[in-house]
Amino acid sequence: MSLGQVVERTGSPLARPGGSGPRPGRRRLTLSRLDVAVSPYLYVAPFFLLFAAFGLFPILYTAFVSLHRWDIIGSRTWIGLQNYRDLLADPRFWIALRNTFSIWVLSTVPQLALALFLAHVLDRRFLRAKTFFRMALLVPNVTSVVAVAIVFTSIFGLHFGLVNYVLESLGLGRIDWKAGVLSSHLAISAMVMWRWTGYNALIYLAALQSIPQELYEAAVIDGASHFQLLRRVTVPMLRPAILFTVVVSTIGGLQIFAEPLVFDGGQYAYRGGTGRQYSTLALFLYEQGFRSFKFGYAAAVAWVLFVLISVMVVLNVLVFRRIRSAD
Amino acid sequence: MWPSRSRPRPRRRGVALLATAGLLLAACQGGGPPTAGAPGTSPQGAEPVTLNMWLFGEFGYGPLIERYHREHPNVTVKTKVADYGAHHDALTAGLASGSGAPDIAAIEVGFIAAFKARPENFYNLLDFGAGDLQGDYLPWKWQQALTGDGSALIGLPTDVGPMAMCYRTDLFEQAGLPTDREEVGALWPTWSDFIEVGRRFTQATGVGFIDAGSQLYNAIVNQGTEKYYRRDDTLVYASNPQVKKAWDLTMEAIQAGISAQIAPFTAEWNAGMQRGSFGVLTCPAWMMGYIQGQAPDTAGKWDIAPMPEGSGNWGGSFLALPRQGQHPQEAYQFISWLLAPEQQLYVFEHTGNFPSTPELYSDPAIQDFSNPFFNDAPVGRIFAESAMKVTPIYEGSQEGQIRSIVESAIGRVEQGQQSPGEAWASLLEELEREVGPSS
Repeated sequence: MSLGQVVERTGSPLARPGGSGPRPGRRRLTLSRLDVAVSPYLYVAPFFLLFAAFGLFPILYTAFVSLHRWDIIGSRTWIGLQNYRDLLADPRFWIALRNTFSIWVLSTVPQLALALFLAHVLDRRFLRAKTFFRMALLVPNVTSVVAVAIVFTSIFGLHFGLVNYVLESLGLGRIDWKAGVLSSHLAISAMVMWRWTGYNALIYLAALQSIPQELYEAAVIDGASHFQLLRRVTVPMLRPAILFTVVVSTIGGLQIFAEPLVFDGGQYAYRGGTGRQYSTLALFLYEQGFRSFKFGYAAAVAWVLFVLISVMVVLNVLVFRRIRSAD
Repeated sequence: MWPSRSRPRPRRRGVALLATAGLLLAACQGGGPPTAGAPGTSPQGAEPVTLNMWLFGEFGYGPLIERYHREHPNVTVKTKVADYGAHHDALTAGLASGSGAPDIAAIEVGFIAAFKARPENFYNLLDFGAGDLQGDYLPWKWQQALTGDGSALIGLPTDVGPMAMCYRTDLFEQAGLPTDREEVGALWPTWSDFIEVGRRFTQATGVGFIDAGSQLYNAIVNQGTEKYYRRDDTLVYASNPQVKKAWDLTMEAIQAGISAQIAPFTAEWNAGMQRGSFGVLTCPAWMMGYIQGQAPDTAGKWDIAPMPEGSGNWGGSFLALPRQGQHPQEAYQFISWLLAPEQQLYVFEHTGNFPSTPELYSDPAIQDFSNPFFNDAPVGRIFAESAMKVTPIYEGSQEGQIRSIVESAIGRVEQGQQSPGEAWASLLEELEREVGPSS
């Protein structure tokens, strides 16, 4: 808009000195109107073109694939919604769904609480070497996910793992972390937390620092306690940042793939454990597509995952709206 | 990730070219093929050709590729090496999307049955006269890349993984067992004897005898001629006595407490190998290199004895030519040279991958080959004998998925999640869902 107007303004004075009459002027006018109308779209077009090619098209094509019995390197037949019906009747899908949500909750809730606490500590005035600590928080996040997962996997090893070593020297028994549902989810959540807590803490820190000091001063004058400051000033002012981190954690958490894959580490890692204790939806998708060669079925899993994430994000936003109106 | 491509590859034209090439070849069959199967000859002034080859792990082809290029200056071979999983995923993705697959691709035996069930993705090497080479290779190995009806061959054999039993002499001594390889072999003529030896071993040493139940299971089940499929591709996983025998023996071993419960190919497994957490390891030829790499400090503490009840094969690969390739003629000429006995011998001498060409087995280079890491065991002779004893076993298209389901069930019993009976019932249920009912 504004750019178009600038062009129009500079364009017309240049046209006058020539005195070339109304027709070229009108043509310029049409051109500049066209410019005003079209240019903005052209400016934003690159994003939409890229999104159409790498976002929208794959999503729609996946939907198309999911309506077929589609051997990944073989034949394909149209079967309508059969893949979705099969999926809903497939116990492996429900196990993967349970695991995905369980790992997501176990990693996200403590992670965000811890991040808030860390941000609060870092925001303290008396803290020395602030930049060092802030940088340090981000280090886990720039580490490769596979490297993190490999290290944590050996920490949680049954025979030679650090955690079991400590447990044994305390006289407690070993835990076969991979064998149990809850134990494996805890181990995987620990990886996610280690990687993402610092990132979220920095976002909270930035939000904390943008809260005007006057609000606190006014509250203190009104006699607010420490807890009331947190409850009535800090958390409400952080709401946009909290919403952002929850949405991002939802999108990332429900697609969790590399952590359980590396955690297993064996020949059939894509199964997510002998009894699928830590099979997630993304792992199940990969197994069906690239090991069973059932491309259509894998596409159906992908679509269910997409819908689930969308629903969860909408729910997050709605919940936050309710919290705001309750205030 | 993707290999550099020297020219665009329109898919349709590739198919048309292939059809013509096939016709031409069929026409030339009487007079002998013009170039194929005649390594060392290069047509004068031939146009330059670049062949992309995808491999995984260590095939040891580097110097051979250079030699081939010197003899055929117009042919340049570019290799891309990835790890096992990523390699087969990228190949699958390339075939699925219709572009991006290389001219030559390695396929491991764990994937060959799945790709063989979809032979239209690859050039049929029989069209190039590969049938003439059949006598060079082990018959069971050749069968693995041949479709059930024998009409299409999708890959030429690289190495094989004939099996023996690696064992720790130091731990055997500690358990009061013999350490000499002949005597150790005599301890276990049958798998039941093997488990009995395991009981004595674990009682005396306190460590596991085998590394994991699934390893024992695989060694036993692969000694039959059929496991999950009959030759006509009907599923027989529930009724085949070979499967039940392997399962029951494995359950017996787990309940006898002789498994160290360490999942193969994990970091813990490598650590267990170094620390002596288990006394034996089912050993295909390539496992020697793995042990030497992962547990270098155990040099001299290992030896190799024959397996109970015969032999078996684990691993080994093939080189295949995806249909997207534009130069199948040159590619075939190259792989048929690369996988000829002389070149396989070179690879064995330099990387230890065991040849799939039996005429080499009597060669002094193999007969006299011993390995100091394994107490100077005559490994060349041991594995050559083992390779000759392997019985061909038919594998169907979903072999890989079936294996993962059965081995996971064994893992559940080891981890105490299920009893043997529960695990057997749940594996049948899962197999029926994944691959269909068994007859």
